[in-house]
Amino acid sequence: MKSFSTRRLTYLAVLTAVALTIFVIEAQLPPLAPIPGIKLGLANVVTVYAVFALGPGQAGLVLLARILLGSLFAGGMTLFYSLAGGLCCYLVTLATWRLLGPRLVWACSMLGAMAHNVGQIAVAVAITRTPAVAAYLPILLVSGIVTGVFTGLCAQFLLSRLPRPGPPGRGGS
Amino acid sequence: MKHTKVWILVTVLLLAVCLAGWLLVLGGRAGSATAQIYQGGQLVRTIDLSQVEQPYSFSVDGPAGGNTIQVEQGRIRVSHAGCPDQVCVQQGWIANGVVPIVCLPNELVIQVGGDEAEGGLDGVSG
Repeated sequence: MKSFSTRRLTYLAVLTAVALTIFVIEAQLPPLAPIPGIKLGLANVVTVYAVFALGPGQAGLVLLARILLGSLFAGGMTLFYSLAGGLCCYLVTLATWRLLGPRLVWACSMLGAMAHNVGQIAVAVAITRTPAVAAYLPILLVSGIVTGVFTGLCAQFLLSRLPRPGPPGRGGS
Repeated sequence: MKHTKVWILVTVLLLAVCLAGWLLVLGGRAGSATAQIYQGGQLVRTIDLSQVEQPYSFSVDGPAGGNTIQVEQGRIRVSHAGCPDQVCVQQGWIANGVVPIVCLPNELVIQVGGDEAEGGLDGVSG
């Protein structure tokens, strides 16, 4: 088990707190459309930022902590949708982030958002046991593409403005 | 920079395909106006909406407080839901097409049109 420096651990904790705060505030906003599953997903700015700034391993930790804590605040069935969507999004990001590189953060985020929608729908079909729910997929994908590009661009600007964090290993200042 | 242009193109293409899929779903098939109400994956009620003379409503139990469903000639909606988010209530009336009303907390799905046999939608979405 690789251990983090205190500095890095704090950095991850702060990122998680920022993501969680954005998530909780966004949950208080009225829904954008009368269709379940459509939202801006601003908390993903932090996730995408973390993948490119810290690598997928530590970004995965931040994402997992945010989903688990976030579902405590949101309650209900949210956990399953978030986990399935988050996992799909994470796997796609894992596969694409190196290929696309820092100039195409937004494209990576868009693909991840689309994977998130597919995961969400898969869980919705499983829970309701009704394949007709898949009819939502094109609608969700449209919203996923738009919001994915938006959050990706946010993360891309963040990456070019913020100084990179220190090395992940032991020690550090 | 070249890659950026390629990816902008890919994005626009994906968006176009999904919008086309969306329109396909919205356009749906006019089909018969039969509403099927599922709770927990079980078909609990089938209503031929064209045969409804007087508007009426009824309740369906569910794990999150159940739903009240209102029926009029040719259309159906959820008028009350026991869950906090009320997404199904806000969706309003549906009359035809493929987009169902879904109340996830109550595991309720209302589908209009198509046959009673499953796969009515799969034929459309391929």
